[in-house]
Amino acid sequence: MSTEIAEYHSIPPARRSLLIASKWLLQAAIVIVVAGLVIWLGLAVREALARKGIQFSFGYLGNVANFSLSEGFVPSRGGNWPVLELFSPSHSNFQALLAGLWNSLKVALSAIVLCTMFGTLVGIGRLSTNWLVRKLCFGLVEAIRNTPLLIQIVFWYFAVVLRFPPANAASNWFGGLLASRSGVFFPGLVISERASVGSWGLLAIAFALVVACVALRGLRLRLILLAAALSVLIATAFAGFPLGLDLPVATRFSARGGFAISPEMTALLIAIVVNSSAYVAEIVRGAIEALPKGQWEASASLGLSRSHTLRDIILPQVFRIVLPSLANRYISLTKDTSLGIAIGFPDLFNVYGTVSNQTGRNLEGVVIVMLTYLALSWIISACVNGVNARVNGRRER
Amino acid sequence: MSTVALRWVHRNLFAKPFDTALSLVVIPTLAWAVYAFGYWALVQAHWQVVGGSFKVLMTGIYPADQLWRAWFAVATLCAMFGAGLGLSVRAGRAALTVVALVAVLIAAVLAVAIDVHSGGLAVACAALGIAAWGGVHRSAVDQRIVLSGLLAGVVAIFVVLSPPGFEVWGGLLLSVVLTIAVSILTLPFGILLALGRQSRITSLRLISTAYIETMRSVPLILVVYWIWIIVPLLAPDTSVPGLLRGMAGFALFFAAYVAEYVRSGLQAVPRAQIEAARSLAMSSWTLNVDIVLPQALRVVVPSLVGQILDIFNGATLVFIIGLTDFLRAGQMILADPQNSGRTYEIYVFLFAVYLAIGGAITYASRRLEAHLARGSR
Repeated sequence: MSTEIAEYHSIPPARRSLLIASKWLLQAAIVIVVAGLVIWLGLAVREALARKGIQFSFGYLGNVANFSLSEGFVPSRGGNWPVLELFSPSHSNFQALLAGLWNSLKVALSAIVLCTMFGTLVGIGRLSTNWLVRKLCFGLVEAIRNTPLLIQIVFWYFAVVLRFPPANAASNWFGGLLASRSGVFFPGLVISERASVGSWGLLAIAFALVVACVALRGLRLRLILLAAALSVLIATAFAGFPLGLDLPVATRFSARGGFAISPEMTALLIAIVVNSSAYVAEIVRGAIEALPKGQWEASASLGLSRSHTLRDIILPQVFRIVLPSLANRYISLTKDTSLGIAIGFPDLFNVYGTVSNQTGRNLEGVVIVMLTYLALSWIISACVNGVNARVNGRRER
Repeated sequence: MSTVALRWVHRNLFAKPFDTALSLVVIPTLAWAVYAFGYWALVQAHWQVVGGSFKVLMTGIYPADQLWRAWFAVATLCAMFGAGLGLSVRAGRAALTVVALVAVLIAAVLAVAIDVHSGGLAVACAALGIAAWGGVHRSAVDQRIVLSGLLAGVVAIFVVLSPPGFEVWGGLLLSVVLTIAVSILTLPFGILLALGRQSRITSLRLISTAYIETMRSVPLILVVYWIWIIVPLLAPDTSVPGLLRGMAGFALFFAAYVAEYVRSGLQAVPRAQIEAARSLAMSSWTLNVDIVLPQALRVVVPSLVGQILDIFNGATLVFIIGLTDFLRAGQMILADPQNSGRTYEIYVFLFAVYLAIGGAITYASRRLEAHLARGSR
């Protein structure tokens, strides 16, 4: 850049202003061309819509949706409190889109947590000293990365989840987990009738103590906090524990109780977690291999075992290196939830399709959906950048 | 011999307590999985369903009397792949022989499983591909000749396949042709975007950046669907075939990714090169076209080849605009009540073909990377 400045000062003033003017003209020309293109596009679309008798407006969002979704919650007003309730055809189109967003986020957030865990495991497995584990992880990662995600989703849905036993013969694992064609059921927590304000307060205190135990430093302090939390929990049990375990029970056509995941969500979640884990595994493996070999050797010379080295020395450093790549992966994963449409999962994109089919409002909807995905991407990268700054930024000070 | 094997097993599987525990869990699981899959594949599976629907899987619903067009396209594709392999993968005679044997074996199995006519054509196509590989590999033709040959091949495929209409294109042929066409289409647009993003002109830079960031933040399926619905609105009097609209959507989306790859290549070009060219009073056009871009593109060739895999895997999304690609053709066959209960045969076949093509693309990009790294040393 410095050469350009020197060049610039060697130009006589009269020519210099000409140069600046021509630069401004160029800028203006580019802006005018692009803006003109966008305006032409907008006008052409508006004209085409007008020919069909449709006007570009977002008013349709307030209209009653008149269609139902298989799952999805919407915020609405129940009395004085904003509550979440199941989407029903009497809700508005806007609330339908919100329910779709809720479903997308539900899958995306669970997948982010699960794929980070499994991906790290597989990534470590690819560097295992056990030949078989190493090759197996390599084969899995390659097979998953070289095939389309869509065939994986379709396979998990049509060939696995829909082949689960019917609800009345659901396979029951460990007493609490039900896997059936009509969904997967986990044990859930319910608020028991015996709950009193005092027991709620005690539970909150126990929770706060556990949080403090995780957040604060010092082994002694942590042990004291943990003991305090345990004693408060025991006290809560005497005061009437406010939460109860709700085990799912299989019935003729479905299951009752517990925490249910629909077959579509099961398939989509498994597919996305498995797919993203393969990519996360590659990211983690790359980061571990990029660390200097001296780290392993130094910790071995201190008498640390391989697993200790990995847990206490390698992984904390790897965590810092992989953050930006993981952010990219999380963003792609969130975008991938839009493939749920292939198996009928009502995610944001699917609901947008239904809404636009019902109302003929394709273009307004696409603007909303595009902006939502943009916002999601920004939020994810902002979160990861924040963590990144916390983890990496302190070193400069 | 046996002591060597035992020592290998000990060192690689049972060296430490943790490894032993892992092995004791993994080996029985793996053995059970292999046994279960093998038993199913060899005894229970009904592979005739794949043979019976082979033409639909490969070409979709292409009219039977026009099928020679599809076969011509397949032959051209085989020759193009062969030439591309000859250009990029410097394999020895042994590797060539192995590939040739495998290809002939697959073609022979096809001949038995389907009918002798198509099987013979498959053998011919495989032979053509291997001949092209050997020819380009041995004679060391100029790269430019091969590249223009590849381009001519794509044009020829489009010209020959077009007469019955784009609507009847389908199956694996559609996926592959779409992938190749989109890969070519994204290049110029991606390069322009990358140059725009690097430009000193602020407005150009902002617009390019905004475009790239937007495209990278939204799902491909949304872009494809959006282009598909907006084209008829922009051109109400002409009906643009769904395939071309889909290609436009893919190209607009993947151009943003190509732009990012090219940008990384542009940044890898040493600054001194640009300064030296400036000092020779080169215009910025000549500078970019003759000095910077050739070096930048050389660096990003492996990434661009890897990108082809993304496009190929993304091509399954054309179901959203009603095209019958490879995966959709498989699902169509499964929708036929006659084939109900044959889910696994079809999916295993689809998976194997996707894996073979995807693996080949990954392998090619790795080889290219190694090749270029060796060349620059």
